[in-house]
Amino acid sequence: MAEFFEYLPLALTFTNLLTLILGVIGGLILGATPGLSPTMAVALLVPFTFHMDPTTGLILLGAVYTATVAGGAISAILINIPGAPANIATLLDGHPMAQQGRSQTALYTCFISSLVGGLFGMLIMILFTPPLARIALKFGPSEMFWIAIFGITVMAGLSSGSITKGLIGGMFGLLISTIGYSPLLGVPRFVFHDVLTGGVAIVPALIGLFAIPQVFSLVEKLDMHIERPEYKPEKGVLLRTFVDNLKMVKALGIGSVVGSIIGIIPGAGGQVAGLIAYDQIRKFSKKPESFGTGNPEGVAAAESANNAMVGPSLIPLLTLSIPGSPTAAVLLGGLLIHGLFPGPDLFLNNAPVTYAFIGSLVLAQLAMCIFGLAMSRYSYMVMSVPNLFMIAAVTVLAVYGTYSVQNSFDDVIVMFCLGSLMYIGNKFGFSAAPVVLGIILGPIAEDNFLKGKLIADTDVGAFSYFFNGPMNIIIILLCAASIGYSIYGEIKAFKKAKEQTT
Amino acid sequence: MRKELIISLVLLAGTISLYLSLSLMEDPRAATFPKVIILIMGVLSMTLLFQSVITGPKKGRPGLQSDRVSAEKASASKIYFPYGILVGCFILIVIYFAVMEWLGFYVSAFLFFVAVTFLLGRKDLSVRKGGMRVGIALIFTTILFVLFNKLLVVQTPKGLFF
Repeated sequence: MAEFFEYLPLALTFTNLLTLILGVIGGLILGATPGLSPTMAVALLVPFTFHMDPTTGLILLGAVYTATVAGGAISAILINIPGAPANIATLLDGHPMAQQGRSQTALYTCFISSLVGGLFGMLIMILFTPPLARIALKFGPSEMFWIAIFGITVMAGLSSGSITKGLIGGMFGLLISTIGYSPLLGVPRFVFHDVLTGGVAIVPALIGLFAIPQVFSLVEKLDMHIERPEYKPEKGVLLRTFVDNLKMVKALGIGSVVGSIIGIIPGAGGQVAGLIAYDQIRKFSKKPESFGTGNPEGVAAAESANNAMVGPSLIPLLTLSIPGSPTAAVLLGGLLIHGLFPGPDLFLNNAPVTYAFIGSLVLAQLAMCIFGLAMSRYSYMVMSVPNLFMIAAVTVLAVYGTYSVQNSFDDVIVMFCLGSLMYIGNKFGFSAAPVVLGIILGPIAEDNFLKGKLIADTDVGAFSYFFNGPMNIIIILLCAASIGYSIYGEIKAFKKAKEQTT
Repeated sequence: MRKELIISLVLLAGTISLYLSLSLMEDPRAATFPKVIILIMGVLSMTLLFQSVITGPKKGRPGLQSDRVSAEKASASKIYFPYGILVGCFILIVIYFAVMEWLGFYVSAFLFFVAVTFLLGRKDLSVRKGGMRVGIALIFTTILFVLFNKLLVVQTPKGLFF
């Protein structure tokens, strides 16, 4: 906690504050734009931070991450399309409120409860991250190898309908990370074309895998008609909503606690947090039948939960390199391009940048609420932007972002090829997040695997080295539990569908 | 199910060819890690193949969750899937890449922006809307140029112009 206050002023410099505000405004707009996922928004921004000071760059990414989660609620409330998976629970009561002409109240409730949840989550993050990082300090190559594998299993289960496909995606990502010259022996691997000589860099992969499939899916949905309820501004709504929010202690409390707990569990994500919090507040309510018909408590619980998740979801990311959500996986890429490796090193050797980043996330929550409330009135305008402009702008930005990192046209080709392949993969039920995580964690996994193998060959043998020791066994069990839980979920869904068909 | 079968067979074929390509590596030690990954991928591809054959939907039997999701998406997309527009967009992107180094980033970005918006919005194209799209493309590329070329001094392909 002392380090947090020591380095907080770094986040308060003019440049960093300006970056934070611009990031929050941009994040709210991107989050509110249907068709642009927060993950893709952060992925597109990563290369732009490359030219910035690491602290400023990370502040920008953190601000956009925070604001997109809240901004996604705007489209959920106004047009019944969640801007992010985290906002699914928000639309259950938010959209009925908008249909009743209470859009403004719904949006104000959303931003005030997001602030409450977000600040609670940040407090949990500040308290728990440094002690966990100290535990991670004791990890050797075998533990780090298993941690990387655990990250992939978590993401595989999280982002695909099928764990098998998720794991295949993760392994494909690991294979992509081996393209280029072997770091240990300097031998070329899978260099089938000159374009691949330098390997596949993180930024082209991130942008290609998230942005290009999105461009093509926007083309698919070009003729989709969206119903937009009328936005009716009223006087005195802000004060009234603020007072009403103060009375929703139960909804905000449940949302903040559920969101923080779910956030710490790697892979559970905001979508789960929002839905569980919504379910709990409905169960604890004296009028459960009012939920789903425009009850502001539903919006407050869901939004406080998904914002409370943001801070704790970064705990496993910053301490163990395990991202809690696909957007956090992209954020991991952002840390790596600035030469910041998550884990104990981050808190020991890069303490100023790390704590300034954490501090900026707290400030981003405040800025998100202020600008969210101020921009609510104009939010419907964002949703009026036709998809064809989005398609053109995202493609140009994707190309620009990819090229600008290494001034390499080869990267642009790699980005587009990977993106096109991912679009086809999406059609077959594969998702981008495990592939990205495989690419990011690949070097960590390989490096620690080879180091561990060298130690094992001179000592106890590979099997004993990688499968013995309490930490190894705990992480292996976590990997097995992560896969097992996903298989259980699939079997359960299979049985349910079978019952429905018979 | 057929879709699942096809993808698992493609994956299996890809895995086998990648495994065979490992023997071409100059130093076999460099292949240690990829070999482990490819073997796991092989096992997973076999699992997917097994799932698609054994647990795939057959006359009233439900398939895996992912199968159903794909099936739902497929049935929804059967209503109208804009293959022509997708191919058109793909070709425009390829042309954009091809001319980028020759025309320069900003000029090619402007032309691409105009071309894409004209192609995708061809149904309701009028002189006014066309002019508006050109204007938006111009504003967008000008903002990019001022922000990145003049303020942040980020390098982009120069080409014939700037």
